[in-house]
Amino acid sequence: MDLEKYKKIFVQEANKYLDELDIVLIRAEKDLPNQQLWSEIHGKIHSIKGMSKALSMERIAGLCHSMEEWCKQFQGGDIRPSGDAVQLLIDGTDLLKGLVAGKDDASFPENLKEWDRITASLTNSPDELLKHVTPEVRLVSSPSKIDRIRVDYSLIEELLARSQEIMLLEKRLPILSQDQISTGLRGWIDHYMSMLRGLHFQLARLRLIPVNDFVQLFKKTIRDLAKKYDRDVGLEVIGGELQVDIGLMDRLREPFMHLLRNSIAHGIEPSDERVKRGKNQEGKIVLEAEKRGDSVVLKVSDDGRGIDRTAITKYLKNKRSMSDEEIFRMRDDEFFNAILNVDFSSAHGTTQLAGRGIGMDVISRAIGYLGGSMTIHSEPSKGTQFIIRLPLSLSIVYAIVFRLGEYTLSIPTSNVASIERTETTSLEQNGASYDLEDRLGIDTHTRRPTHILKLRQPPGINGATDRGTPVRVAVDTIIGNMPLMVMPLGELLVMAGSFAGVGIMENGDISILLDMEKL
Amino acid sequence: MECFIFEAAEKCFGMEAHYIYSIADDIQITPVPLAPPCYRGLIYFRGDLFDVIDMGSLMGKERSLPNGNPYVILLKWGQRKLSLISDKIIGITWIENNNGSQTVFTKEGRTVELITPEEIWKILSELPYGP
Repeated sequence: MDLEKYKKIFVQEANKYLDELDIVLIRAEKDLPNQQLWSEIHGKIHSIKGMSKALSMERIAGLCHSMEEWCKQFQGGDIRPSGDAVQLLIDGTDLLKGLVAGKDDASFPENLKEWDRITASLTNSPDELLKHVTPEVRLVSSPSKIDRIRVDYSLIEELLARSQEIMLLEKRLPILSQDQISTGLRGWIDHYMSMLRGLHFQLARLRLIPVNDFVQLFKKTIRDLAKKYDRDVGLEVIGGELQVDIGLMDRLREPFMHLLRNSIAHGIEPSDERVKRGKNQEGKIVLEAEKRGDSVVLKVSDDGRGIDRTAITKYLKNKRSMSDEEIFRMRDDEFFNAILNVDFSSAHGTTQLAGRGIGMDVISRAIGYLGGSMTIHSEPSKGTQFIIRLPLSLSIVYAIVFRLGEYTLSIPTSNVASIERTETTSLEQNGASYDLEDRLGIDTHTRRPTHILKLRQPPGINGATDRGTPVRVAVDTIIGNMPLMVMPLGELLVMAGSFAGVGIMENGDISILLDMEKL
Repeated sequence: MECFIFEAAEKCFGMEAHYIYSIADDIQITPVPLAPPCYRGLIYFRGDLFDVIDMGSLMGKERSLPNGNPYVILLKWGQRKLSLISDKIIGITWIENNNGSQTVFTKEGRTVELITPEEIWKILSELPYGP
């Protein structure tokens, strides 16, 4: 396990709690008997303690424990806290900040001195503190450097819209003669507009969040579901640092909720059953994220009992009139995808043996709406894996942008092995092995190919060439290799089944991102 | 009701004004392959993508403004959005209760066929897309 990665997350989270703790302690100082504030203080210290314990940061956990015990005495109202008691906790909070920054390292001299003083004071009762208090000159702590802010997502949307509007001003620029405009001014306007385009593009990048942030949303849900269904469940995240668009992830919240509920309620067995089967007492849900070509692939797996094949077989026989032989011949992914049908859910209801039918059609539709797809793998008593493949919607992807007839199209740079110039207009002579214009229904009379794109691994390009052999596509003009902000296709263009998304260039122009796998 | 009126396919169409998100001009429409003839392309407006539909072509007549730089009527309703190209934008007018009728008459004597974005969407979603 990459502990450093988790420690980094810990530092971020702990600092957030410590900043909040400062604020609540300041409020408590002015409202000493307020027990609600003391509960709040206790809660925040407890959260830091839990996180640090999980990462074996014993000093931080130990100090938090002492501070927590101290708070408990004021929470019940048995002991009336004093200003000095609050000060001790403020000092403890400052010490914690130093320890968190050093990831539990207390070897700095100022930390060691404070460590001895504060831990010694915390072992006393609050009444004792009053007796031993010695006036001293305290250093005023400077606020830590602000390197991160939290902003409302809608503000980013508004900023994007505003920058888009400013860019549109360029198109309203009146045509001025040389008498009316100097070359210098023209150059200044061009430079100004190019800076604006850059600004717009950078703003678009604010929409990206790491998958880890998305997963954080579900930690409490998993805990609650595990409690509700009396399961022992742990969550592991792989590839949590992958940056994805907040809009895309937001639309995945509900589908993920359904998947997690199904995994916990119907996939993962109760602890005693797991132990009997020789499994770990704790069931595991793994969320794995990776970028693959022009897609984001999210895998949600559990190590539960797997999907019961008999329910699906029964459905295929009764509702799809399939014979045993036909069912036997089905590929596993085809077989399990049967549970995504609307009538599968209704046919099996809440008593469906594997329990996977509930809401699966809803999940599938939601993913389809985003231009994605889902496949399912399952093995009896080993577990189930849902593989969700989504276009790199709303995220940034580098792509070769080109023109073909009247269309501006693009292919992710990662799919392009090389680009060659061509002198001939004949597709046969220039060696193109894939007739993109024919697939896209483009008028051949308008074609003037100037370049050949050699594509890497063309999975699924039907009949063009063998898998693994580079595909060559003739294009009219290469516009460039550039970053695109990829937005999802709307409901209408999804039906074309040939595009991965819509790419927005830095200047606000649009290109259609081709899904070479589907084409 | 407040009704937004425009001309397309040699007819006047009216739509409840609250569906109108904006009217854009001088905006570049990017054509998209594998779409039906009435689908003129996409526009990127204020951070959103809008499908651009030619109302003349959708209604089975000539394309609206085949060469001109058209005004684009941007619609937003529920989770959906769409934009329309018409022959002419007439404007917003008040129409008395239509008593469920699809056809109404304005004070200026125009015969207006009432239409909703959802009805346009339904027609669009039944058209063939793809190779």
